[in-house]
Amino acid sequence: MEKMIEIKDLHKDFGKNHILKGVNLTIHRGEVVTIIGSSGSGKSTLLRCINMLEEPTSGDILFKGDSILSDEYSLSQLRTHLGMVFQQFNLFENKNALQNCVIGQVQVLKRSQKEAEKIAMDNLCKVGMGEFQNASPKQLSGGQKQRVAIARALSMNPDCLLFDEPTSALDPEMVGEVLKTIRELAAEGLTMVVVTHEMGFAKDVSDRVVFMDQGVIAEENTPEEIFNHPKELRTKEFLKRILEQH
Amino acid sequence: MKKWMTWLFAFLLIFPALTWGNSEATAETNDEDLFRVGMEAGYPPFNWTQQTDKNGAVPIDGQKEYAGGYDVEIARKVAEGLGKKLVIVKISWDGLAPALTSGKIDAIIAGMSPTEERKKAIDFSEAYHHAELVMMVKKGSPFEEARSLADFEGAKITGQLGTLHYDAIDQIPGVQKELAMDDFPAMRVALESGVIDGYVSENVEGLTARKINPNFVMVQFDEGKGFELSEADSTVAIGLRKGSPLTEPINEVLGNISREQREEIMATAIEQQPGAEDDATGGFFFWVKKIVEENGVMFLRGAGMTLLISLIGTVLGTAIGMAIGMFRTIPTPKKAGKRGLFNFLNTLFSIYIEVFRGTPMIVQSMVIYYGAAQAFGININRTIAAIIIVSINTGAYMTEIVRGGIFAVDKGQFEAAQAIGMTHYQTMRHIVVPQVIRNILPATGNEFVINIKDTSVLNVIAVSELFFQAKTVSGANFRFFETFSVVCVIYFVMTFAVTQILRRIEKKLDGPGHYEPYGNQMQVQKPETID
Ligand SMILES: Nc1ncnc2c1ncn2[C@@H]1O[C@H](COP(=O)(O)OP(=O)(O)OP(=O)(O)O)[C@@H](O)[C@H]1O
Ligand SMILES: [Mg+2]
Repeated sequence: MEKMIEIKDLHKDFGKNHILKGVNLTIHRGEVVTIIGSSGSGKSTLLRCINMLEEPTSGDILFKGDSILSDEYSLSQLRTHLGMVFQQFNLFENKNALQNCVIGQVQVLKRSQKEAEKIAMDNLCKVGMGEFQNASPKQLSGGQKQRVAIARALSMNPDCLLFDEPTSALDPEMVGEVLKTIRELAAEGLTMVVVTHEMGFAKDVSDRVVFMDQGVIAEENTPEEIFNHPKELRTKEFLKRILEQH
Repeated sequence: MKKWMTWLFAFLLIFPALTWGNSEATAETNDEDLFRVGMEAGYPPFNWTQQTDKNGAVPIDGQKEYAGGYDVEIARKVAEGLGKKLVIVKISWDGLAPALTSGKIDAIIAGMSPTEERKKAIDFSEAYHHAELVMMVKKGSPFEEARSLADFEGAKITGQLGTLHYDAIDQIPGVQKELAMDDFPAMRVALESGVIDGYVSENVEGLTARKINPNFVMVQFDEGKGFELSEADSTVAIGLRKGSPLTEPINEVLGNISREQREEIMATAIEQQPGAEDDATGGFFFWVKKIVEENGVMFLRGAGMTLLISLIGTVLGTAIGMAIGMFRTIPTPKKAGKRGLFNFLNTLFSIYIEVFRGTPMIVQSMVIYYGAAQAFGININRTIAAIIIVSINTGAYMTEIVRGGIFAVDKGQFEAAQAIGMTHYQTMRHIVVPQVIRNILPATGNEFVINIKDTSVLNVIAVSELFFQAKTVSGANFRFFETFSVVCVIYFVMTFAVTQILRRIEKKLDGPGHYEPYGNQMQVQKPETID
């Protein structure tokens, strides 16, 4: 299998706080990897390091074999290949749904307005938001916003999508529509890294589940193994805590 | 001049030059053939503003109005004597001395008395008018023929409250000093009705009163038998720059105008002064109507100037604020050289903000307009100077407002833009700035309204905005309440209109709270709005 992202001995400090303490992880093309773990374990930080929203302190990240930390590597290029979907949606407030999906294509990929609009429209329809192309973000519900955000990321034709808790900010009745969208993308074979607290979703959709604890990957395996036969004590404890909550 | 002051001046000058770049000197500078005279054009009968060139009034520099009056006639004679062309510059009282010392004008002929205080800053010519205290009495009264103060023994005399006229009554032996009165119309009524035997006045007012009411007689005293007045109180002279070469020739010209000629000029001025033919009766609405009819155009011009300056000033100021605000969002460069420049500019901007927020606009106007001319000989067109002053003043405030506006844009907006590969510039241009504009719109509107009101201080640099025009009109008709009521309404209409327009824009930008998807509504779920 072709290696898409290789993370090697990644460390990240925030001042004196050592947050990532040597993470090693490889994502292959077409793979869906979910990252689980307790709050503060460094999941978001890891994800944000992958597209350089945070700069790693040491270690290396390769994207399709090239180190993204080298000075020659174009960050702007990297980011067009890596889509990111945020917990808080972060739709551009001054733009409607369609424009949200168009702006990056025109500005960064230099596509024509017309072409960009067509691609944007296709993606909005794909996530079931075609009817809302002219709606501004504040006219949309949380679930609708998140679907537009996914369409925005898709419009850049990324090789890989990064999701940071895409459903955590949603009212329970809207979680389903967003997860359904992500499932459909997984079925299409899009490479995805998803940080989530939705264990059922992680079990269904992922090829591999990564359990993070205190800045390192504590366990990494297929969903069946992780959820049914966890090897590590801290994985067991985490899963037990999660199950008790629900 | 102290070194830091030079730097301050340099900063104040370079900055507008950078942001405006259009500070060419106007033709009014150092023109040897011109005799530029400053006056308020709002202190009849010495000087006033009128709409036409009737009675040989002189056009006011850079305006559509004309100046007339005793001062204008004297100025005309002086200019003739000097062989120069007369230019009348209309400047508010406080701006006269700075305009003279900075070389914007050559002389002040504005009914100004040569007090000791003023003599410290400027020179004065010989007096061109002697105020003389007189006594107004009724025709046929026993005092009609009086020639000396002693003749008023036992007379019931009053004068205007708080003036030297009233104080001077004490010089009359055995007088019956009555309570002081508020204004001349009141004293005239009292005299007419016989409540008093006379009131103390000046020859100028006396001539006016005698003209209005032929029943009045003006008693002028014989030499040495009248009221004693200090020279500073009783004379009016031409203000000139210290050591001005014009002093000698001007004194010569003035010496050739005889006392009789001067009195005749004054009498003519009194006759021609605006409102001289009006009677003082008539209520509030009569006067409002009259003021609107006679001065409406002038007010509208003033309002136009006010709007022009505050609109351009607000727009440019907002642009300055945006530029600096955006500059401050640029991440600190890593290279040492770039970082040095970056830090230098940041410090410069901080100084700019502190200086302009920490000083009144009237002071800034003085420094930039007159100070620049005095220190560096730089002359800027008045209106442009005014726009620059309002712009950089507004800019200082807007920088902070923009900072708040950027701060209010969610951090997620920057990250989302970054995450799809947009550069800092693209992010700013397409995502942040539009949101900042929306955020700062209310505060910008506020600045605009403040500017409309604050431009009233610009009359010190001879900009005829609305407030200055109002002062001119009320100075001529003495109808302060009615005049300023009219002006108040104009100000209110302007600010109210601006506020309403901005509110509309805000609403438009915000759009409706709900979205109706097009197409068959039966099939789509209705969006819910979460806030
Ligand atoms: N920009 C930052 N500056 C300083 N500390 C940070 C920063 N971002 C994250 N941290 C710290 O790093 C630690 C890990 O944060 P991170 O957001 O990666 O956790 P997480 O696993 O995503 O948790 P959650 O499930 O709550 O999202 C936390 O203790 C957090 O306080
Ligand atoms: Mg997180």
